[in-house]
Amino acid sequence: MSREVLLTGFGVQTAFGSGADALREGVFDGRPAFAPIARFDTGPYRTDVAATAGGAVPLREALAKTATEAIGMAGLPPRADAAVLVGTAGDFTSLTRFWRAMAATDGSGISGGTAETVPAWQAEALADELGVHGPRLAFTSACVASAMAIAHACRLIASGRVGIAVCAGAYLVEEENLAKFGSGFALSKDGMVRPFCADRSGLLLGDGAAAIVLESAQSARSRGARALGALTGWGAASDAYHVAKPHPEGTGLASAARQALRRAGDPRIDYVNAHGTATKANDPAETRGLRALFGERADCVPVSSTKSTTGHLLEAAGVVELVITLLALQDGVLPPTAGFTEPDPACDLDYVPNRPRRAEIRRAMSVNAAFGGANTALILERA
Amino acid sequence: MIAAIVDDEVPPVSGFVESAFNPLVYQAVRQCLTGRPGLTGRPADGARTALVLASTMGDTDTLDLGSRRLVAGQVHNPLLFMQSTANAILGRLSLDFAITGPLLALSVLGNLAGELLTTAELLRADGELDRIVLVGVELAGSERTATAHRELGTNPPAVSAAVAIALDRDDPIPSCPCGNPSVPPIQSATYGSLCGLVEVAARIRGAKP
Repeated sequence: MSREVLLTGFGVQTAFGSGADALREGVFDGRPAFAPIARFDTGPYRTDVAATAGGAVPLREALAKTATEAIGMAGLPPRADAAVLVGTAGDFTSLTRFWRAMAATDGSGISGGTAETVPAWQAEALADELGVHGPRLAFTSACVASAMAIAHACRLIASGRVGIAVCAGAYLVEEENLAKFGSGFALSKDGMVRPFCADRSGLLLGDGAAAIVLESAQSARSRGARALGALTGWGAASDAYHVAKPHPEGTGLASAARQALRRAGDPRIDYVNAHGTATKANDPAETRGLRALFGERADCVPVSSTKSTTGHLLEAAGVVELVITLLALQDGVLPPTAGFTEPDPACDLDYVPNRPRRAEIRRAMSVNAAFGGANTALILERA
Repeated sequence: MIAAIVDDEVPPVSGFVESAFNPLVYQAVRQCLTGRPGLTGRPADGARTALVLASTMGDTDTLDLGSRRLVAGQVHNPLLFMQSTANAILGRLSLDFAITGPLLALSVLGNLAGELLTTAELLRADGELDRIVLVGVELAGSERTATAHRELGTNPPAVSAAVAIALDRDDPIPSCPCGNPSVPPIQSATYGSLCGLVEVAARIRGAKP
């Protein structure tokens, strides 16, 4: 497995809008996008706040839009051979719509769209929309789903099985997850997401969709495509600790990151885009995991959680945060951890509080974690 | 290599109360891991073991129960929050069997067996892993999955089942039943999308499905 994996295109959409400039103006400015949700009645739920971009759209549209932008930027020809790997749990709005129709009409009023609840359908539909040919898979591993998709694409490309992969992920704020996260007392109480702070009270959901084009150096060279960055390391590991809580020492996260570093040849990491959910359990665990990983260097490695501005993008977190990491590398600017107040004594890294920071960075790592103790790490190198 | 096919009553898994999905997965994987504890008699290294779960529809019972409760205006059960992703049962297995390698959960519309076997091959080629445990699972389903299957033109399974296969480093990757991993096998009325995996597992077990 020695083929280089290059990133040649991306498309992204968050509550700040579409494209890199929207991220620069929101995420990199440290401007949280949280506001009252207007797309459905939030009366029954514990919070009415999330980072949303206007009204509800089908998940397939967000995936198609960002993936079309990504392949346009990469300059992929029509009907290219490419794997399509998508981090998604399916369209929850369609799920709610189905059961509302069943409750109201005993099912006779349902006219199509139910397949959109099936995660694999989203990958198939996206590949059909893009007109590409190759493996199609959905990754359903919750908050590491799209990072897992990216790691899988890297394996496919590094092994020579495919030359090009379109990796995408999407989550759009809807009622099912707002209810679930609320029932689990995981949502912020003050309308802000304050990762690593003493007064953090939880996460808020956010709209997110992104797609990246990954390809072998040989494929990029033969097409004359410009590399924006290189995926040099990827890793995945589990905590073997609890079905819902992370290991308090962040062992799985550190292990995933060590794998990624080994694969990348143990380079120096200049920035970490953290999972940073602002939940009581995640942030100290992640901090300890990163401390164990970096050892004496830990105090010198800036770490920020961009969920403080975008909200938690669930299945889309991995791919959107990788795009943010790419922009940090390209622009030489670290996105801050917004809404930062007093640090939790158990969280003692450099979290780039509140303001963006100029930094000449060459390599960055994006880490994610999910239910069941699943962890991922991706290393991105500036082109 | 070792395989298990579980399609009947299974013991409950504590904390997973609303659906057969998680107990089926647990039982199939448990049978493989206890039936072949490690390579050449040595205990398997949990850090060098991966769990890969694939399902077309996922845990539809838990998901649909949560949605029906939401539509009915009932209070959400926090347990459904935890159970609604396949990660949860994979996490439970990783805890019980000290597995600290990767946990993957996939949704596949075409050739579920082929995708699982390809994933096993890829993970093994990585060099970081010695054992890959594959598990396919599908529930008999609900009104929603019946509707989705109609729209997709696929067959819902008649039974809820899970099939697990544990592959060690030196085991050959079994061939896909249809020969070509990109061509989905015709879905059977009994096992739906799992039929190819059932065939592979039966071959490993030396029995007809």
